[in-house]
Order: sequence, then structure tokens, then C-alpha cells
Amino acid sequence: MQWHAFESPVHDSQRMFRQLLSAMSEPGTLAAVSDITVRHILPPAGSAVGAAGWATLLTLCDLETSVWIAPELNTGGLADALTFHTGARMAPSAAEADFALVLPATLSGQAPAFREGSDTHPDRSTTLVVVLAELEADGPWCLSGPGIADVRNLDVGQGGEALMTRLAANRARFPRGLDAILTCEERLTAVPRSTCITQVQIEEGVSCMLP
Amino acid sequence: MNSVDRREGPPADGYNFAYLDEQTKRMIRRGLLKAVAIPGYQVPFGGREMPMPYGWGTGGMQLTASVLGQDDVLKVIDQGADDTTNAVSIRAFFERVAGVATTTTTTEADVIQTRHRIPEQPLRQGQILIFQVPIPEPLRFIEPSEVETRLMHALEEYGVMHVKLYEDIARHGHIATTYAYPVKVDGRYVTDPSPIPKFDNPKLHMAESLMLFGAGREKRLYAIPPYTRVESLDFEDHPFEVQQWDVPCAICGARDTFLDEVITDDQGGRMFVCSDTDYCQSRAEEVA
Amino acid sequence: MYVAVKGGEQAIANAHRWLADRRRGERNTPELEVTQVEQQLRLAVARVMAEASLYDPELASLAIKQASGDMVEAVFLLRAYRTTLPRLAETLPLDTSSMRIERRISAAYKDIPGGQVLGPTYDYTHRLLDFLQLANAEVDTPAAAEQRLADCPQVLELLDAEGLIEREADDGSEPYDITRDPPDFPVDRATRLQMLARGDEGYLLALGYSTQRGYGRNHPFAGEIRLGNVEVEIAVEEHEGPVCIGEIEISECQMINQFGGSREVAPQFTRGYGLAFGHNERKTMAMALVDRALRAEELGEPVTGPAQQAEFVLAHADSVEAAGFVSHLKLPHYVDFQSELELLRRLRRNHARRHGGTPPDAADSHADADNTSAPVGSNAALGEEHS
Repeated sequence: MQWHAFESPVHDSQRMFRQLLSAMSEPGTLAAVSDITVRHILPPAGSAVGAAGWATLLTLCDLETSVWIAPELNTGGLADALTFHTGARMAPSAAEADFALVLPATLSGQAPAFREGSDTHPDRSTTLVVVLAELEADGPWCLSGPGIADVRNLDVGQGGEALMTRLAANRARFPRGLDAILTCEERLTAVPRSTCITQVQIEEGVSCMLP
Repeated sequence: MNSVDRREGPPADGYNFAYLDEQTKRMIRRGLLKAVAIPGYQVPFGGREMPMPYGWGTGGMQLTASVLGQDDVLKVIDQGADDTTNAVSIRAFFERVAGVATTTTTTEADVIQTRHRIPEQPLRQGQILIFQVPIPEPLRFIEPSEVETRLMHALEEYGVMHVKLYEDIARHGHIATTYAYPVKVDGRYVTDPSPIPKFDNPKLHMAESLMLFGAGREKRLYAIPPYTRVESLDFEDHPFEVQQWDVPCAICGARDTFLDEVITDDQGGRMFVCSDTDYCQSRAEEVA
Repeated sequence: MYVAVKGGEQAIANAHRWLADRRRGERNTPELEVTQVEQQLRLAVARVMAEASLYDPELASLAIKQASGDMVEAVFLLRAYRTTLPRLAETLPLDTSSMRIERRISAAYKDIPGGQVLGPTYDYTHRLLDFLQLANAEVDTPAAAEQRLADCPQVLELLDAEGLIEREADDGSEPYDITRDPPDFPVDRATRLQMLARGDEGYLLALGYSTQRGYGRNHPFAGEIRLGNVEVEIAVEEHEGPVCIGEIEISECQMINQFGGSREVAPQFTRGYGLAFGHNERKTMAMALVDRALRAEELGEPVTGPAQQAEFVLAHADSVEAAGFVSHLKLPHYVDFQSELELLRRLRRNHARRHGGTPPDAADSHADADNTSAPVGSNAALGEEHS
């Protein structure tokens, strides 16, 4: 199976970074990887990871980073391809990972102990790159905090509770915490540790209740 | 009127796009994402030597080089002006090594690198303002040791800063800090807004644009995301207030801008004009 | 009417042309060639290479020429070039014991195995200006030994055999790389030595000197100073044994310092270490003194002198950083200054009001509604204190 690098590494990764930067700056806003980029780097058929997830790894990983990949996602030679294209090392454990490619289910139950940084060095933490089956605006998850003027809603699909519960727990440990880039096919958004997350009941029809 | 200056031809040969190698850009980009995720926290980064001296904006330049794309329009200001020597020099650098279009018009810029000012024209969503920072640590002049200040941030122990500001009040009747006035970002980190006049501090609060800060010599970068609470430190009985002038700008007549004092002769004559030259010019043109 | 200053671009271009003219000097004098700098100003070249952390005599010479001999500027030029270079491989640790020696002295022993080798040194010259050099007098060829010197054992190893000096062993850990990551204080000794190795010579000299005068005294002896060429080796995959990729000239200084010791550990000498590219003796000696001073905490000594304060010493050692930040004061600071002016005037008005005098800038054009530049009394000048 073929995993492709960016056609124009300098400019594609710059464009991709800007999308990640604005996603992280305005949590919960959805962005799509540009068509041109997607066409070139489309992951092989049948792979669990979509274009946005693969493009994120290509943009941020290199020989100075270590990556942890959830076993369910490491199909089609993904880990080898990532090392080949970026030089990234595979982290021997979750606790040593700069980036972790995960499913929402990875965060449930006995979740791997990713790095949260310390109070003196909160930046030394794992960034999650989450692969989702669904990712839409206007869902049951209500986000607020830096980067959000009022509130913003998000739908991360079935089985997203474990993920969002874990990310919601960030606030209590701030400044330690996990930052997440959420990807679904060619779409992405981000939920940094600074974001407050609450769940609203969709059947009530109300959009959001701030705590 | 289109005031964007588009260059012909590719960027200078022999240099990577925007000067920095891709590995360095990636390192800075990873740092920037962390900086945005922890608003106001100073992320250490492996700052590189730039072909300009430390202290002359190398931190801002490394950030600009890491975010800039070939389709971006860049504006560079120093003291609010596009035509000051350092602004000219940095703008010319990016024209040369990135081949990007440049502008002096605030509204047309995608990325604005600045030293000591925030433009008067409120920035819009999607614009990125990049500050050059000399001393990123707001506690540095109270506690010179990095080991100590890092701990103070970790423990959220900012009492010394309030003591310092209060000593000012006791001595002068005012807080005697007029620029680089410390702020608290999203209720957590006490942060140096770079040496902008405190006049500009209110523009940091719930701004629509992303603000990035780069300190090259000190090798720190930090961020204030859009729509983030930014409070200037003060006391109930001595609330934060900004500078005011008794006179309007002598060129455009603005009464709500930061004014530079210009000495006009050796008899003590002087006048006051907008420090933001683009804002002043566009107002003057409207009036004319 | 006043208009904001424009035309910075043209002014900068003109300044650059003038600078180039000054650098070239009078055109009837032959232009200095880079090889002349490399061959005849080799100590300057060594200093630039050391402080720029780049071993390239030709480009260091170019930097000196381009900087009109301003060493700090030359270091900066070469350092900025260094940053653009890709990292192709990592070398194995240099083995200074197998140095091809040009100079090697010890002040601790009268004679040492391998002998004292004076080499090319200014040490015993009488500092009298040699007017013959004004006329480019011929220089004799020096006497040379017929055989190269055998590898000389390190003097400190001799003490080591007796257990008189602290042992230093490679723990195999990967050293921190200050050119890639910012120092995270407190830093370990390997990191400190990297920072000192590119530190400004004058700065280290002054700090080292201060320890000799009692600000953190540690009784140094110049155990061994050696100058010569060492092989640079890398490990190559699928190749047995290291591969030599060339030779560089380096200076090394090992200081022997006052013994420590405690109830548990028998007293023994301690070490200070200095290493630099090229012939850089003064630098390596100063570096060794400062290295030893910075070990105060580790060795349980009281920290009393500036040279023993690691954050202070290391954060200010780099001439590129220091020169940049001092020179940035030449950049415009109108906005900050204006902010200070406004505050100072307000404070002075308040002060005058409290003391019943006339506010110092009562006649300030500030208050003029028409904002013309009306002359005001000389007491408006900031510097003048009213009596």
C-alpha cells in the first residue's frame, strides 16, 4: 500500500500548519484540507486514518518527535510510512509520545498514560491526533474558553464520550493537559486543554448551557 | 485602491522559503500550537541565529518565517510606523527570502509583524499579529533567576508583581509602568505584552485576531488566542487606565490614538502626531 | 507642515554603500585577501571560529574581512551562516590524548613524560613593537624536529593513576545540544561547557580573573595546556570502526584545583576544563577557571562570587546575544519614551502641586488647542530641575 508525502513539502505543510494553528486558536471550528493536498496524499483505501490525520502527522512530525499509534490504526504499514516520510520515531510507550494517533475508544477504560506535562513545563505533553468516524458542528458538546467568542458546539459521533470526558478533565489539571486535533476524513478541528467542555442534551433542543 | 506590493519572480536563490529550514519551522510550529493551547505560557524553543542581531526582532522573524505562506500579504511595523528603519529592513528581508506580497495597509495584511505597537484599526478574525519581544518574562525585573520565575508561574504565585506595582503607588501615587504593562491571560498566566504602551493593552482583550509573541534571544514564544480574556493588573482603588492626550493628532485630528511627540525646533516647540502611520494616513485621506 | 519620516529604504541602501567603501579603504592600497587573513591573522580566525562554533578557517577569515576586523561582528556573521547548515552526521568524541602536539606545557610539574613543548607562543616575547615588520622583513624558517612527537599522555592521567584527582568517566548519556534546544536552567556540566566554549573570550577572561582575586577562589594550577591537531571521526553504518573525516586544530586546558573531600570521600584535586577551536589558549584557560567556579554547588562550596552563579554567568556569556541586545537600544523607542514622558510630566505636575510651586510645564504646548508648535519656556526642558 502506498502512503504519499506532500507534493510540495514546503508549501503544503505551511498551509496545513496554518489550518492547524487556526483550529487550535478557535477550538471547535471545522476546516477541510485543501483538495489539491488531499488528492496527492490520500491514504490508501481501507486505512483507518483519513487525509486530515495523515496530513497532520506529515506536517508536525520529524526526527525530533516520537509518535504513539493505537494498534487498531496501525494498518497498511502506517508506522513505517510515517518513519520513512518524516523520520519520526515510534514512542516505546504512551508516556514518551509527543504525538499520539488514537481512536476515541483509546481514551476509555484503562487508557494509555499520555504525557500531560508538568506545572513548570506544561508544554512537554502529548498532542492527540484523533481519528473520528463523524465530526460535525452543532452537536451535543458545548465548547467555551479562549478562542471562542461565546460558545461553539461540536458533534464527534457515537462513542465520543470517552474522548470528550477525558478532554473535559483537562480544565481541572490546567496548565497540565492533553491537546487534541480531531480529524475525520479530510476535515479537522482542535480542542486544546484551555477549552471548557460541557454536554447538552440534544432532545431538549437547547444549544448550550454555560456552567 | 490596491496598496499591496506584489513582487515579480521567485524568492532569492540559495535560501529556503522564508529563510528557515523546514526542521526549524516544524519545531517552532509545534511550539506555537502548544503556546496557543496554554494561553500566556512561555514555551521554550530552540531559537536560531537569524541574519539580523538579537534584540532586533529575531524572535518575531522566526515566528513570521514559520507561519508565512506564499499567498500571504505581510505588513511590518515598528513604533506603529511602516517606514522606520527596522520595519523597512525586516519587510525587505521577507520580500527577498519568501517573495511574499507586502502592504502598509493594516486591513489588507494577513500577517503583521510588529514592534512596540498594536495597530489602531481593530484586527479582524484570521489576521495574525506577531510581536517582537525583548524580555518575555514579566517577573524578570523582580526576580532575575529563571529557575525561580518558572516556579512562580507554576505555583501561580504572583504576589511579588502586585507588591511591585503597589510600591509604585506608594511612591508616586501612580503605577509607574507605562509600557510592557503586565497582563493576566485567561485568568491564569501573568504575561508580558511586549513593550507596547499600556494604551494598547485593552486591544489584547477579546481581540478577534490571533496574537503570537516571539523572543529570539531568550528563546521563548507565547500566544494569546482570539477571544481570550486579558486583564491588565491593577488594584480596586487604583484601576488600570491608559494614557491620554489633551490635543488631537496634528495631521489627521484623531483624538483616540496613541500620539508621538515630535520636536519641531530648538525653542521647545513640539507637536503630536499618530504613531500608527497607516491609520493616520488613511484618516487624513478621508478628510481631504 | 510636518510629515512622518519616510524613505528609510533609500537611507539604508546608502548606508550600506558607505560602509562597503569604508571597509575597502583607499583604493590605491591593495585589497586584503581572505587567504592573507587566514594565514597571517590566525589567532583572530581561531577566536571567530571558537565563538561562532564553526570550524571553517576560510569563512572565518572572510567574516573578519567583511566585518572590517570587528571580532564580535565577525563571530555573528559566521554564527548566522552556521545556522543555515544541515546536520549531516554526529562525530565521535574527540580524543585529545592522541593529539598531534604543537605545544604542550604543564605548570604543575617541572618535567613531564613527553616533555614540555613550547611551540608557537607569544609568552616569552618581549612586548616591543617590531618596527622591521613595517617594512615586511623576511622571516626565518623555524627549526623542526625530524620526527613527529609521540602521543603524549595527559598530565592529569598521571595524577589519576594515584587517585589524587577526581576521576571523570563518560556515562554514555547523550549530551544536551544548546544549538538545538534552549538551556533549561539549572543545566548540567556538559551543557555549561558548551555554553562556555562559545562564550565571549573577554567576558570569560574577566570572570576567570575575578576568581583568582578572591570572588570564588579555587586555587588553580595549569595542569596541562595543549595545542595541536586531532582527528575528527564519525561512525558509519555498515563500516567497521570509526571513519576519519579530517583534522582540526584545537586548544585544551585542564586546570588542577584545590582539593575537596568530606568525611566519606578522601581529599583529592578537582578539575576545571577548557576547550576551543584553533589556537585559543587564553580562552581555554579562562574557560577552565569558570568551569571550575561553576562547580561550586556540586562540590559543596559556598557560592560567593559572580563567577560561581551559573544562571548569571551562562545567560550573559554569548557575545552574539549580548551585542545584539545592547545594540538594539539604537532602534527607535519613540513609543516607550513617549509613554515615560507623559508619566514623568504628570508626576512632576503632581509634585509641584503638592509643594505649591508652578508646574514645570505649565506653559506646555500640550494644552494648546490649536496644537501649533508654540515655543515654551526653557523650564519645560525635562532635564532641568526647578529649584
